[in-house]
Amino acid sequence: MVGIVVATHGHLAQEFVSTAEQIVGKLEAVSTCAIEPTNSAAEIQRRVDEAVASVDSGQGVIVFTDLLGGTACTQSLMLTRSHDLEVITGLNLPMLLKASTLRSEITSLPELAAALARYGQKNITCASALVRSALVPGDR
Amino acid sequence: MISLVRVDNRLIHGQVVEAWLPSLKAKRIVVADDEAAGNLLTRAAMGLAVQNSVEVRIEPLLKVNYQSIAEDRVPTLLLVRDVAAAITAREKGLPIRLLNLGNIHFGSGRRRVSPSVFLSQDELNQLKMLSQAGVEVEARGVPTDARVTFAEMMERFKEGD
Repeated sequence: MVGIVVATHGHLAQEFVSTAEQIVGKLEAVSTCAIEPTNSAAEIQRRVDEAVASVDSGQGVIVFTDLLGGTACTQSLMLTRSHDLEVITGLNLPMLLKASTLRSEITSLPELAAALARYGQKNITCASALVRSALVPGDR
Repeated sequence: MISLVRVDNRLIHGQVVEAWLPSLKAKRIVVADDEAAGNLLTRAAMGLAVQNSVEVRIEPLLKVNYQSIAEDRVPTLLLVRDVAAAITAREKGLPIRLLNLGNIHFGSGRRRVSPSVFLSQDELNQLKMLSQAGVEVEARGVPTDARVTFAEMMERFKEGD
């Protein structure tokens, strides 16, 4: 199974995973990494590395990070040299939930990652505007 | 034009991209760092998050043309990894009015002088010389944080005894 690492600033990572588990149940092969302001870049890379190793069963790992350009993202990218790894930024709950099922359906790691990034983007909407445009004038 | 010189072990990262760039309205980031400049993947990864309207240069510490970036009109955020690099850059012609200490991580012999800055005795001495030469030295993670002045840092360092 493709492993999942969630690496974020503060406690978002742990909260994302526990919230996802409230919705879809216990997630297999998932580990988290919380980055605090006092951690050095080298320390962060070591911790992401350990998190990746703990969920890598040979089929590769998807690392979800919060900020494009944040340290979790940058240091995860450094690991793409030594691991079969894809890094996704802008983590949201829909993409994490989708990952739990999609990883058993798509076997190519790059394709899986691309599909998850697209799915995450698709779920960012201005829902109220979508509703307004769906309403026929006069319905209101 | 140098808008800010910042010491940050992490170089370009979330605080820099999300807080300092918009606050300074900087149009150029110069990372003066041998390790980052020598690693293609680091250069690519660090440049990734910066919007296209901001120029990113990642060059070895001694290769940066400090005079030229100080004299042209492009507002520039200059990033170095540690205090020693800031001193070297200054010796190579970088004018520093305000030196911001952002993230300097804990290590053996270091003492905490702000929430995210740990200094060694050597660094404190070097900063003292800078301060005496008229450079304002502050510790501040992001623009909206309260600044820790150099006098406060010296005080906290002493208390850490």
